[in-house]
Amino acid sequence: MSLSTSSVLPRHSTPMANAFKRFVQGGSLILVTYLALYAVYGVLEPRALQPYAIAALMNNTAPLALAAAGLTLVVINRGFDLSLAGVISICNVVLATMPMDGPGGALLSVLLCILIGGFIGAVNGVLVGWFGLQSIAATLATMIICQGIALVILDAPGGYVAEWIVYELTDRLWGIIPVSGLVVAAVVCLWLIVRRTRFGISLYAIGADEQAAALSGVNVIRVRFGAYLLAGALYGLAGFMLSAQTATGNPTSGAPLLLLSFAAVALGGTSLAGGSGGLFATVIGAATLTLLQKVLFSAGVSSFYTGMFQGIVLILAVVFSVTMSRIGARQ
Amino acid sequence: MTTASEHQMEQAFNQTGDHRRSERISRETISAIAVAILCVAMLLGARFISPSLGSWSQVETVLVLGSFLIVLSFGQGLVILTGGLDLSLPAVITLGGILATNWVGATDPGAWYLLGAVLLVCAGVGLVSAIGIVWLHIPPFIMTLAMSIIVSSALLGYTRGTPRGAAPDLALALMKSKVLGMPMPILFVIGFVILGALFQSRSVPGRYLYAIGTNIHAARIAGVPVLLVQAMPYVISAVCAGLVGIMLVGYSNGATLRMGDDYLLPSIAAVVIGGSSILGGRGNFLGTVGGALLLTTLGTIITAIGLQIGWRTIIEGAVVLIALLLLREELFQKLGQYWRSSQPASESGSITRRKGT
Amino acid sequence: MSGNPGFELQAEGLRKSYGATVALEHADITLRAGEVHALLGENGAGKSTLVRILSGVTMPDAGHMILAGQTYSPRSIMEARESQVATAFQELSLVPNLSVAENVLLPGLHASRLGFVSRSAVLARGKEILSRHGLDRIDPAAEVGTLPLSERQRIEIARALENAGRVLILDEPTASLSETDWLFEQIEKARARGVAILYISHRLAEVRQICTVATVLRNGRSIATVSLSDATNDDIFEMMVGRRVEERPTRTATIASGEPRLRVSGLSGHGLKDISFEIHPGEVLGVAALEAQGQQALFRTLAGLLPVVEGKVEIDGTRATYKGPRQAMRFASGISYLPEERKVEGILPGLTAATNIVLPFLPRIARMALLGGRNEKAAAHEPADNVEMDRRYLAFNIENLSGGNQQKALMGRTLATGARTLLLFDPTRGVDVGTKQSIYAAIRRFADSGGSVLFFSSELPEIVQLSDRCLVLYGGRIFRTFSRDEINEQQLVAAMIGHAGVEAA
Repeated sequence: MSLSTSSVLPRHSTPMANAFKRFVQGGSLILVTYLALYAVYGVLEPRALQPYAIAALMNNTAPLALAAAGLTLVVINRGFDLSLAGVISICNVVLATMPMDGPGGALLSVLLCILIGGFIGAVNGVLVGWFGLQSIAATLATMIICQGIALVILDAPGGYVAEWIVYELTDRLWGIIPVSGLVVAAVVCLWLIVRRTRFGISLYAIGADEQAAALSGVNVIRVRFGAYLLAGALYGLAGFMLSAQTATGNPTSGAPLLLLSFAAVALGGTSLAGGSGGLFATVIGAATLTLLQKVLFSAGVSSFYTGMFQGIVLILAVVFSVTMSRIGARQ
Repeated sequence: MTTASEHQMEQAFNQTGDHRRSERISRETISAIAVAILCVAMLLGARFISPSLGSWSQVETVLVLGSFLIVLSFGQGLVILTGGLDLSLPAVITLGGILATNWVGATDPGAWYLLGAVLLVCAGVGLVSAIGIVWLHIPPFIMTLAMSIIVSSALLGYTRGTPRGAAPDLALALMKSKVLGMPMPILFVIGFVILGALFQSRSVPGRYLYAIGTNIHAARIAGVPVLLVQAMPYVISAVCAGLVGIMLVGYSNGATLRMGDDYLLPSIAAVVIGGSSILGGRGNFLGTVGGALLLTTLGTIITAIGLQIGWRTIIEGAVVLIALLLLREELFQKLGQYWRSSQPASESGSITRRKGT
Repeated sequence: MSGNPGFELQAEGLRKSYGATVALEHADITLRAGEVHALLGENGAGKSTLVRILSGVTMPDAGHMILAGQTYSPRSIMEARESQVATAFQELSLVPNLSVAENVLLPGLHASRLGFVSRSAVLARGKEILSRHGLDRIDPAAEVGTLPLSERQRIEIARALENAGRVLILDEPTASLSETDWLFEQIEKARARGVAILYISHRLAEVRQICTVATVLRNGRSIATVSLSDATNDDIFEMMVGRRVEERPTRTATIASGEPRLRVSGLSGHGLKDISFEIHPGEVLGVAALEAQGQQALFRTLAGLLPVVEGKVEIDGTRATYKGPRQAMRFASGISYLPEERKVEGILPGLTAATNIVLPFLPRIARMALLGGRNEKAAAHEPADNVEMDRRYLAFNIENLSGGNQQKALMGRTLATGARTLLLFDPTRGVDVGTKQSIYAAIRRFADSGGSVLFFSSELPEIVQLSDRCLVLYGGRIFRTFSRDEINEQQLVAAMIGHAGVEAA
């Protein structure tokens, strides 16, 4: 007989359910899905395995992957961040109106983007951390303001991004390895290090149970601020990569990435309730979404209907993740 | 057996309760009043910038342009009241507009009853969102976002990228005609506001919405049909968006694939500025109407003085941010405390009511 | 880990209010090294607030604290910990998705200079700490969320022990422990090395076993500090509630015979095991149990909040098929639930007390589909009178009423649903004496008019006073049933603790 046979036994799950949860959230499931989808792509499009095709796919994926990676940090922390659309737009129009050529210019550009993103992230961090605003409302306001700033800088699509950036960052190293892929890989590696730091562990702790984390001595405000700051910097980087790919400026270029980023996070198995998930799985989630577009195109589906598939995939991904966590909770 | 001292305690406590009650009411009414005053002040102040501004025709323009936002943010407000968010509005506006021109306008502009069918289709979209949110437990934010791209993509395919058709007669009549010298849309929106306010604040379903927005567990135990009440605002919101689509078609005599895009953020902004809590359970429709009019006035003035669209967006965002910061619960509590402590009569000594541990 | 012997933690005149509610008015307490000090008081007396102030979670509005001769005013948990004051919280401050070792080490985690955390070092440190406090059997790598509640409580205590060089605060440490051997052994060890211990518990027997002195809080004030060997239970009880225990006339029941109104047979699932009982019209059936013995599951199943897994529930002889409280209220003669946690499941903050009361039957009072403040208030008059709630409170936002009036409003609502069976879960938790009497009277009137009541209470005198019969739940089963004449506190307590010392973790 046990005294803990209460109806309110929280989150007690079996090893089986746990292992499965890890399989989903660790990114293995989405990786398997991705590879399967790639196989389909390979069948439909025989040139799919050529280095240039892979590089093109990587280039398409990189902005979304980076934006979604930033969003993941906030979602782990049990927040929502809509400002990513605004940050990306600002970075894009800045690069298109102030092209700085050559490697030095590229370095300056990327630093500038990260700085812009970091600054807006810091503003979000202050609003959510110190002022205690709802993350969705606060980042909605910053997103609107950022969209406005982007429109002020460049009121209609146009401008040119520095050539060096456009060519070098979409190129392949030694004809094989796509540069954009390297950037994403570098971010993932950095994350693998960060998540083993005190900051990383605190991030997960706050997402799972903010009050318990606070009572354990975690500085919730500071960690939350850090999450928004880093997320902003990643959106900046995403804006940089997007500009390299589009080569031109568009004041609303970030908007389409908003939904897709949430879809990538959900596909990667990161729970929108916070406390679990990771960047790697999100990146694969983003890659899956981009690949899906290509596969649909190869299969002859009109590009008009791409959104429909993306929306349905998003819903399925979330339903799956919600069902999983409910099963986990019920065990 | 209540002792005399207990009675005193109770009374002392409930006197302070009185203050707090007036604070609560003020939170919503004050913002509605403040917003209304701001609107008038801006319209009058605009005269100094340009004499053509601030006239009656200017007011008419604001009301006509504001009518879209008012109708739209009624639905959005109900969704927010339950703690959700509807991001599918732009797509549903476009759906309403395109169906009205393609189905009705292009074939039989006089068939007013077909507009009912258009609204039914929109309601169907809302119902799908509601099912995902209420029964499949998808976060409202995600579900409506997904519906948004699904509907947009379907419309893109349906129109092959170029919408055709013309406005149905009824839509034209609604937006372009005048009754007794008053533009029809203004009369329509006044009627809408009255009905909307009654529904939200005085009807049984309206009360249920507040109940589940403020504490869904308690509402369930109190016998509120929570699933239905949770689903309802998404359907209403979609119908409102479809209606806005039809109105826009009547106003500009045609539909485009991006006609709804500019309305999503203002619809949320209007609700927030109007004093509703984004967490749900708090707010009233009249405040939202004020918020919508404020945003529209702001937009007209900015356009009139020749500032570009970017600045308009920045100001809109800043207004939302300021509203969020000003409407924080904490701030109101602190103000209340400050006010109390400046009143020697209600000093704390006699207040001995405890917070539960 | 060395406290200097003979030091004290002295707190004087502590005061804390949240808005208009004063949680702690004036509290003095002195903890001495090597002494186990009990903190006693009713729910809402201010115990938790005092704990939060001592542990650095909240700052007091007034008053000061001195620790070992120096001013002690921690602004955060970490500052308290630096002064070697640590707390095991009642609500457990463990993060479910981290490992046991990570939790024990939070937030330090013994990172390297660059901030990196070595997994193996964390596990090793965690293991070391666990074994130091007699918890070798717990795997430091296990995710906390997967462990049973009792183990989590032990980990919480072990972490506090580890950080408590001078002062250890244990807030309801036995809430989910069924045996106290391990805990008392650890407390004894800490006491022996000169730690001052503050022990908060509502179980007097336990307090007498381990503590030497006790401070009693009542209504936010420290009433007295007494040596436990000199004070009788009655003395302590009087200090806690501010009056002597009086014998009250018990109800003379008029229970109808014949068909029972509610019949539960073989109900199992959600931790319940084969529960069967009947309630007749006019009968008040009490339920007594320690924390988490299945009473929640029983009430929630009958209210329609949990599905019936096994067994059946019949109302007026009809098998219950309702899903959810809404249907339950309308099923046969109706069944209505007064929830356990007023704040979480009871009140609807932001709405008036009147709306809170009339919510279950709103459609009935609408005129031409419209509601107004007035018809809601008018409809709430009778329910309010029923529980002796002042009518002028009806127009108030329920959030701003006292706990007692909130509870009256909820009780009024439960009665006003018209259901003939009431499920009352701890109907007088954390309310003042006057409100209790009003609620008792309402329950009696309801039963006298032929209603049936199933009620759980955490206060035994209440059960003795109100019940016509009483069930004792233990480990999800009905451990014993008492008839009217058999009910007395001693018997109930014995049954409630079942066979002490049996625990399967």
